Amino acid sequence: MANPHGVAVTFVGKTYGGGVEAIREVSFHVAPREFVTLLGPSGCGKSTLLMMIAGLLSPSRGEVAVDGTRVDGPRPDVGIVFQSPTLLPWRTVLGNVLIPIEMLRRPRREWEGRARELLAMAKLADFEGKLPHELSGGMKQRVAICRALIHDPDLLLMDEPFSALDALTRDQMGQEVLRIWEQFRKTVVFVTHSIREAVFLSDRVLVMSARPATIAFETVVDLPRPRTIEMQESGEFNRYVGILRHAIEAHA
Amino acid sequence: MNARSLGWPVAFAGAGLALWELIVLLLGVKPVVMPPPTLIGRVLWTRAPLILEHLWPTLYEIVLGFLLSVAGGVLVAVLITYSAIARKGVYPLIVVSQIIPKVAVAPLLVVWFGLGGPSRLLLAFLIAFFPMVINTATGLTAVDDDLVRMARAYMGNRWQIFAKIRLPAALPLVFGGMKISITLAVIGVVVAEFVAAQRGIGYLIVMANGLLDTPLMMAAIAALSVMGLALYGAIALIERAVIYWQPASEPARGGFA
Repeated sequence: MANPHGVAVTFVGKTYGGGVEAIREVSFHVAPREFVTLLGPSGCGKSTLLMMIAGLLSPSRGEVAVDGTRVDGPRPDVGIVFQSPTLLPWRTVLGNVLIPIEMLRRPRREWEGRARELLAMAKLADFEGKLPHELSGGMKQRVAICRALIHDPDLLLMDEPFSALDALTRDQMGQEVLRIWEQFRKTVVFVTHSIREAVFLSDRVLVMSARPATIAFETVVDLPRPRTIEMQESGEFNRYVGILRHAIEAHA
Repeated sequence: MNARSLGWPVAFAGAGLALWELIVLLLGVKPVVMPPPTLIGRVLWTRAPLILEHLWPTLYEIVLGFLLSVAGGVLVAVLITYSAIARKGVYPLIVVSQIIPKVAVAPLLVVWFGLGGPSRLLLAFLIAFFPMVINTATGLTAVDDDLVRMARAYMGNRWQIFAKIRLPAALPLVFGGMKISITLAVIGVVVAEFVAAQRGIGYLIVMANGLLDTPLMMAAIAALSVMGLALYGAIALIERAVIYWQPASEPARGGFA
């Protein structure tokens, strides 16, 4: 059972000071290279769970392990994309992508090439010298994704990364993420409240109940890859959407 | 401010000066009471060597006092940001101490530190220090929590988060503080020169006052104002170069303005 690789969340609970129980008890495992989405209504504690995997919050009960070792703080083998791009406004696109390299005290010069490759892959090759305020919302979030991948982490955590974007950009970003993921095949834990996004992106979807959160439902999304926008119109796709909608409504 | 937005204020100032000149001429006001702008201009020109001789030491002390207040203010702000004890114990005292009018302390400083430069520098420092502390501390703590969390997620340590996130993020407010401090440093040095000095523009103003040489007094004030404006402008220029990432359309900053 205990797969030393991937993410293992075991009996994790979180109670905030003041006795607010955000997460009751959650256990799940994410296999290496698997794309798993935590789906649930706003405020259900799914972001809290992600922050615990990232080592930014500590669980009140239970344990999170990444790659076989217990998480007790941020780790160098994890990349994270937040809801907002969190780019440093005084740094160029390239400078922003290299932040993890600097924080990890690795030689910047050796990683600049990789940063440029990632930017090219995210179709931002011509923007490396631009400042964040010169970019659109979608472009900023793409920079944040490049930043999350620069240090070649095994695990990529994404916390509602497209929720601030308009619907069209959102669809495009989903495709971008899949394209990048097909290439790198990182383990991904993705958080969203969009059912369609969850079905479109994931190998497996975990539905979280309203507070205090538990995993209420789980399904494997058995759609072929690479996935295309057209697939979203297929009956199979919409069957998954329907199943998940019922699951959310039953546990909200 | 660009050349176009400068047009209106310049026009109004010109109109004001013309009106002043006209009223003084028409009413036959004596120069000792109110010299006309043209006379002040003439005195500025003819007595330029004297005015400059007194302007330089004042400028030197203003700049030095200002730099001291910037260094001291930033240092205390960092201390307040990172030490809970300093924040709880020292910060309220600094705020409350603002009730003491610094200018009133000037004679006391002369008693303690003599007639020389140190007491003038200290007064400039005391006055200019406060906005630096407040603005810098506000800037350092008002950093977007998400940015700090991002840096933590990528294993940034306290020093890296300070140097790479908090400090640059605080710069707009630091410059806002500097713009206030430089004008206050001017006040500090000139007031100290009123109280005790053998030179300096404040001394010149008091001396001219004693001689009932109102045109010279106003010429000295004019020179002082131009210098204050130039100092402020210099900081604004540096600010624009340093904080290159703020789109130009954004309104002027300054937390404690």
